[in-house]
Amino acid sequence: MELLHNFRLFISGSWHLITRGNRLYYAWVGFLLVLMALGGLAYANQLRHGLIVTHMRDQVSWGFYIGNFTFLVGVAAAAIMLVIPAYIYDWEPIKEITLLGELLAISALVMCLGFVMVDIGRPDRFWHIMPLVGSLNWPVSMLAWDVIVLNLYLILNWVVVTYLLYCAYTEKHYVKKLVTPLVLLSIPMAVSIHTVTAYLYNGLAARPFWNSAILAPRFLASAFCSGPAILLVVLQVLRRMTKLRITDEAIHKVAELMAYTMGFNLFLTAAEAFKEFYSQTEHVVYIQYLFFGLKGHNTLVPYAWASQIFGLAAFLLFLIPKTRKDWRTLNLGCVLIYASVYIEKGMGLIIPGLTPDALGEIYEYTPSLTEIAVAAGIFAMGFLVFTLMLKAAVPMMLGDFTIRKAPGEPHPEPPEQAAPIIP
Amino acid sequence: MGTKTKTKRYAMVIDSKKCIDCKACVVACKAENKVPEGVFRNWISVERSGDYPKLRMTFEPEQCHHCDEPSCVRVCPTGASWQREDGIVLVDYDACIGCKYCIIACPYEARYHNPETHTVDKCTFCVHRVDKGDLPACVETCPSKVRVFGDLNDPKSPLHQLLATRRHEVKNPQTGNGPQLYYLL
Repeated sequence: MELLHNFRLFISGSWHLITRGNRLYYAWVGFLLVLMALGGLAYANQLRHGLIVTHMRDQVSWGFYIGNFTFLVGVAAAAIMLVIPAYIYDWEPIKEITLLGELLAISALVMCLGFVMVDIGRPDRFWHIMPLVGSLNWPVSMLAWDVIVLNLYLILNWVVVTYLLYCAYTEKHYVKKLVTPLVLLSIPMAVSIHTVTAYLYNGLAARPFWNSAILAPRFLASAFCSGPAILLVVLQVLRRMTKLRITDEAIHKVAELMAYTMGFNLFLTAAEAFKEFYSQTEHVVYIQYLFFGLKGHNTLVPYAWASQIFGLAAFLLFLIPKTRKDWRTLNLGCVLIYASVYIEKGMGLIIPGLTPDALGEIYEYTPSLTEIAVAAGIFAMGFLVFTLMLKAAVPMMLGDFTIRKAPGEPHPEPPEQAAPIIP
Repeated sequence: MGTKTKTKRYAMVIDSKKCIDCKACVVACKAENKVPEGVFRNWISVERSGDYPKLRMTFEPEQCHHCDEPSCVRVCPTGASWQREDGIVLVDYDACIGCKYCIIACPYEARYHNPETHTVDKCTFCVHRVDKGDLPACVETCPSKVRVFGDLNDPKSPLHQLLATRRHEVKNPQTGNGPQLYYLL
């Protein structure tokens, strides 16, 4: 009974936290809500008329939505993988970094599921692919695998975050025997969600562009750059706006790791490009469409090169110690990486896989206004989820908001040192 | 084929040299299956080559190949895409969520997103006719007898006869799908 009572207090306390903030907070949340409303209107239009209001056609039947989905699976995966260096290098705010990674993963997964939802023609039948209640074609269909691992990963992160925050709120020690295995499990699960997503494309004999054995490694390499790129910016914002203590060293170390993964990512891309362009088989047309255009169709060309140039520039910025430790170049590098991977693992992956189509015809796809509005709405939803969760979580993990005291009040006693989750 | 098998295996032989691109099969299919505007279950692909006076034009009817190892069935997350004992690949319209994964997995672009039902749709080999003993609409209507429909496992069928005596090929065999549309050479 006491647990139920405390949990109700925890929920109402969280509600209290997320509904009160300064002007900047309200403006940001309001902005996100407006974007979500616009996205909602666009989606209502799509529901009424069907997928015909998108620019997806039977030749290119996956587009902007699934591109965003693929990119965000990478973000969800990489957020947790930041936990590994956090332990290897023994950073102090290790609990906070784990929690932040998990919150980012949850937000990214919410967006992922949103993008799948808007891409399907019959969203009213969404439950058909839900585990247990639906009729999943498991283990044969890779999409069934993806649904299962993404949902498991979402539940896992949600459970760990809620439990840790609840313990912080009630000023109780969390049970290490319970949390440690779950956090350890989330690391291979993070790898698996992105691997399965790569296999979704990899196993289609009809689409040679995706038939590369290094597709899954490329997914992981690029995710290892893009996930931390977002977290690095978030960490800087948080340590400025809250009492969260994150050392410069920790941030620079993440940046250094990102340089290596970006280097590896560029190498894998080069390996792929060499194989395609040197052998010049008939399957070269897809990568040719991506980088050089085909028969006068070259919508993707500037984006493809921008992605590579951004990636290379960020690699150099993060590799050279001087630019890595300069906040301006560091943040520029984060933006460049984000843009580079967003192109590469979004439209740069989906569209050339389907252009030219299996019959050799070219349908040049660009997202429609509806698709862009719906996508903006989903991104706003993800950012809103992330903002609200952070708003409630940060005071709790700093010991500023517990069952015994409201934020702002002086500590009745010095807060307990944040203990590491994994000893 | 020396072994006698009880189960049927429906297939189609296409003698594309006889095709005159009249598109009667396309129209018949549209009418028979109430295929919505803008999408098609079958079509004639036209290949032009050369310049006047040395030129050539070939027509090849295309549709679902009702593969032995259909990749569309394999990838379907709900089992809505399925295959009958007799080899015909179908979509269960009540189970399909319209994720379009099968459209992408098909090496023949044979599937489409139905703008009216918002599910995926495709050629059914006219099961509703075949199960009554009739021929698919496209076969019945073809004026130049390009299409021969029948049971691969029935040694007496004209289809069996053609495949035994004429050279033929299948499209995109490298995908491992085992297509069952046989094009005579």
